Amino acid sequence: MNGLETRGKTRIVLWALLAAALILYGFPFVYLLLTSFKPPLEAISVPPTVLPTQWTLENYVSALSREGVPAALVNSVITAIISTALSLMLAVPAAYAITRFRTPSGRVFIVAALVTRMVPTIAVGVPLVEIMRNLGLTDTSFGLAIAHTTISLPLSIWLMASFFEAVPDELDEAAKVDGCSRLQALWRVVIPVVTGGVAVTAIFAFLASWNEFLFALLLTSIRAQTTPIVIANFQSQFGLDWGGMTALAAVYSIPVILLTLLLQRHIVAGLTLGAVKG
Amino acid sequence: MKLRTRTRSPRRGARVGIAAATALATVAALAACGVGGTGGASADADTLTVVVEGGGKAELQPIADLYKEETGTAVTLVELPYAGLYDRISAELGSGSPTFDVAALDAIWLSAFADGVAPLDDLYTDEVKEDLFGGLVAEAQVNGAYVGMPVWTNSEILFYRTDLFEDPANQADFEAKYGYPLAPPTDWEQYRDVAEFFTRDTDGDGQVDLYGTDVKGAVETEWLATVSQAGEEHMVLDAESGEVTIADEDHKAALDFYTSLLPFAPTGAAQLDWAGAQNLFYQGNLAMMRFWGHAYRGTPDDSVVKDSIGVAPMIAGPGGVAGVPGAWYLSVPRAGAKQEQAKDFVQFAYEHNDLSADTSLGLVARKSAFEAKSAEAGYENYPALLDTLNAPQTLPRPATPEWQEIVDSVLTPMLQKAVEPGADNAALLEDAKSQIEAILE
Repeated sequence: MNGLETRGKTRIVLWALLAAALILYGFPFVYLLLTSFKPPLEAISVPPTVLPTQWTLENYVSALSREGVPAALVNSVITAIISTALSLMLAVPAAYAITRFRTPSGRVFIVAALVTRMVPTIAVGVPLVEIMRNLGLTDTSFGLAIAHTTISLPLSIWLMASFFEAVPDELDEAAKVDGCSRLQALWRVVIPVVTGGVAVTAIFAFLASWNEFLFALLLTSIRAQTTPIVIANFQSQFGLDWGGMTALAAVYSIPVILLTLLLQRHIVAGLTLGAVKG
Repeated sequence: MKLRTRTRSPRRGARVGIAAATALATVAALAACGVGGTGGASADADTLTVVVEGGGKAELQPIADLYKEETGTAVTLVELPYAGLYDRISAELGSGSPTFDVAALDAIWLSAFADGVAPLDDLYTDEVKEDLFGGLVAEAQVNGAYVGMPVWTNSEILFYRTDLFEDPANQADFEAKYGYPLAPPTDWEQYRDVAEFFTRDTDGDGQVDLYGTDVKGAVETEWLATVSQAGEEHMVLDAESGEVTIADEDHKAALDFYTSLLPFAPTGAAQLDWAGAQNLFYQGNLAMMRFWGHAYRGTPDDSVVKDSIGVAPMIAGPGGVAGVPGAWYLSVPRAGAKQEQAKDFVQFAYEHNDLSADTSLGLVARKSAFEAKSAEAGYENYPALLDTLNAPQTLPRPATPEWQEIVDSVLTPMLQKAVEPGADNAALLEDAKSQIEAILE
């Protein structure tokens, strides 16, 4: 067997594994999409069918016309944008300082930031409810965005730190020689180099807020209620509107898919950043 | 090395700046509140906030509308998913200053939240108690105080296919085989006979496609009703003495009957829950099912059995007819800022309980509200609910704060094992007893 044949077989195995992974990850979403086009009764048929026997938009009409759904979609967008902006505004300078100054306190800080991820979210639920009420931020998108930032910030700092690590210090030095201050070097020289990393971090922060359920449940009532809560409301103690639930879930996934496609180039660049060091 | 630098014209920079500032200002303005309308914490004296499970909002809306009309106080109904309502109320009561004035609580949560809600003893006059089902009054009382006022109640009743039961050929065949006329079953033996009779291959392809009944393994309440039907006075445990009763003879008899229906039910019982069973019935795969009474008024239009559904009271075991009351109660947080107004709304909701009969769920709590509609077309489920809820053996679930944990970690897993082939029911019940005792320690 020559090397060419071996490589060919390896490629086939790799493609087969890739296809299997794609089916494994993609099927639940495809099934959700297909279910959203089934008539309500068929959507929960036993045993379930994969393809609709009759295609209908009935679930979309009923889901989108349900009270509170349009407002919840807008609230989700606002909350996710604010949370993403807050995460980046805090994570970028924090990660830059940690990677450039390399002080012991910086190392302690970055480890401590990760430790906060190990605390179960529900454990901070009660204190958070009280804090938000004292700040007058209960049932506001801003209050919820702050809560979401507590989830995304630690990993945003870690992500940005790994991207900054891949940028040689010489770049900052060169910027300084050209007359930049430390902040100008960060803003005008280093950040443009790690745009891909910023995009990856932004998507991560956006998704963390977009899909978050527990804080949204505890901190919002009507004005700032986000879509995950509204989707969950399709299942009550008295019944499950599976068709409506899948329709709204399908609509809710569209912005994320569009965002990912829009930033795809940056994501790939971000993921490969630091893979080759010169 | 050549550094990448950006050159930007001053005019473009200004445009970008203005656009960014406008966008930020818009987002900030929206973020200050959200776009879901007014509501939330009711600091305003003329508003009340009521948290309610998604399915129950429709029940309370007509009462809230009338309250606003008569008193001028607007009632905001905050709809939250059932799966998260417990956590939300728990967190808010724990914080000491809840944002809601009234909460609609599932019966099984009353004992867990009893310390955080105000007693409503003054609302429970003799007249009120007489117009409520005994099980509901008993359930509302925790540690000697009434902690909630029933706002609607449900119970499992018997659903059956009238097209099958009224078919002369079926009637003749059934009587010939079992020696008594085919009719909606009233006890365990009849239920098993009818279930066996209708389990068949209707299209001649060699496969059974019609089953007499379902057996639900993924939910516990139906088996608990069977326990009460067996004659048990303390299902699972005696909340007062703390004695765990789950391994006694009545529980064993109930589990034996429950699992004896497996040959007449579709496979996959271990995973079958309410939604699955309901759908099997609507698809025409079941001749009978025991299900929550509200479903009668919500049959989907595309169900093949839409025009051939009959209802009857829940079946009886050796102890008599029994269901499990599925009531929801309005409670007022002890730390609430508007307790008097909140109690006034709770009383108003009780007085106008009949308004909920015309909602999509169509459930009420008072006997008089059930009776008022019992003879009306479209409310055929009401007599069945009345009979079941009035039955002496229709007993509430034990009042223990650990109930949800017992259900999730002991009862449901035990049932899922019991509906598997070769299960040893006695051993499963003994095992469950040990687990529950460990939880209660």
